[in-house]
Amino acid sequence: MANTGGGAQALTILSPIKNGYLGETTFADETFKRCMNIRIHEESPLAKIPDTYLARLYVLNDVLYESKPANDTILNLNDLFSLFKGKYRLRGLPKTDKLKSRYLVFSSNFHGESDEDLDRYLKNLYLHWDYTDYYGKRHDIHHIWRHCVAYDKVKSADDFVSYMRKCALDTSLFFNGSNGDSLKEQLKALYLKQELSRFAINHQGKSAGEIQTAWHAFIDRVRPTDLEAPSWKPGQSTVRTS
Amino acid sequence: MSNIAGKAYAMNVITPIRSRYSFINRWLFGKATKTPAALLGLVTLSLIHYARWVIIPRNSFPHLDASQPKEELNYDYMIFQSNFNGSWAQYVDSFTFAIPAGLDLFWKWNVRYPKSVPLTPFHDYIRHNQIDTCHYYSAYPMAASNDVKSAKVLKQALCDFDKASAGKPADEFLTDYHALLNAMQLHLGEMRPTPVVSMAAQAVKDRHSGTPEKVQGFKGANDSAEPVENSASSRTPPAAPLSSTDAPEYS
Repeated sequence: MANTGGGAQALTILSPIKNGYLGETTFADETFKRCMNIRIHEESPLAKIPDTYLARLYVLNDVLYESKPANDTILNLNDLFSLFKGKYRLRGLPKTDKLKSRYLVFSSNFHGESDEDLDRYLKNLYLHWDYTDYYGKRHDIHHIWRHCVAYDKVKSADDFVSYMRKCALDTSLFFNGSNGDSLKEQLKALYLKQELSRFAINHQGKSAGEIQTAWHAFIDRVRPTDLEAPSWKPGQSTVRTS
Repeated sequence: MSNIAGKAYAMNVITPIRSRYSFINRWLFGKATKTPAALLGLVTLSLIHYARWVIIPRNSFPHLDASQPKEELNYDYMIFQSNFNGSWAQYVDSFTFAIPAGLDLFWKWNVRYPKSVPLTPFHDYIRHNQIDTCHYYSAYPMAASNDVKSAKVLKQALCDFDKASAGKPADEFLTDYHALLNAMQLHLGEMRPTPVVSMAAQAVKDRHSGTPEKVQGFKGANDSAEPVENSASSRTPPAAPLSSTDAPEYS
């Protein structure tokens, strides 16, 4: 299988949601609502999960029925037969599928290629997922997953890892169009790109001595090899002047 | 919905695939995985951060408990998920124009796939089978995929230059500095919360800015009180999640 590529890993989780109601709301709709109420960017709980590049949550309510006409190369025999009887036309339609459960889908792209990296990532999800929603209420990871089938058996980080692995799907093809460096490395590089661009603009036309002096001060300030700081924060959505 | 996180767009497309043919797709994907050159077409689409295809055989949807009904499906399903920069139409069209044959190869066995050319049926197909994202997160909402790639090159060049220029006379330093900027001009450029970044974020904030009762669909009575589960498979909610050292006191 192809869950990994170029230093990154693709995680696809389909957690079945219980068929039942919370008050008058289905568990799936409640889960949907909770996902919608997660704050974005820096305030997303995913900003606290180390090495998460991009991730998403959505609810798969059902598979979609694809009934539009096919673009057959030669001809559709059912089209021909339907000249004689309408039932042949109906036979040309695809079959209808309907899911018996609705699924919470969690999809993440994160740094790390090994199974150990995946376990560590899942453990971090459990331990560090923490956010305040748009209504000022603070939640842990159970708030999102608690209505999923068999999730009530999750009592520890290890249980969570095991649960998520049962819900994980193998990737058939993973394309890494970015780079697989650690997130800290990527964020530091983006910070340096921003700062060097500004430095170049601000020092146009200055003398060699001025630029050299300014460069040394610049390096002291941006500390290129220090991945911790100064740097961009995960999920940072505004430009900060440093 | 939140299909946009900064400069990134999250696309989810789920399409039925005939079970008797899905092994061909799996074989093709396996071949492409082992032969990176086969993905060169995708590499030209530098607007993509990450993309994946997941084929779920019709009897392999996760089944975790006897209380969960087993799926009985006619088709296997292919989930395509992508993270890209730019608009929906730019992305879908760039697929068509850059790798129409590859696209048809990957989706060929999917039910009612209309082929990537002409555009309109292909647009309709993707739109019909797309599922919106509830929450989308990007670690760098201000950066495009090309920014991430450029930043890596730039960081290395900056470090190399700083090392090589140490102790050089000012004139020589300036010559090297200009050479650095010349060599890196394609990678330089400030990143900002462009209108797409800020407008998408504003739309999410606006959605939640009304009183809870007015925000239909996102807030209900269930938020203010701990409701009672009403299900044949009703279960006790999980206990406090974290170990004593890590656990915050909330749920």
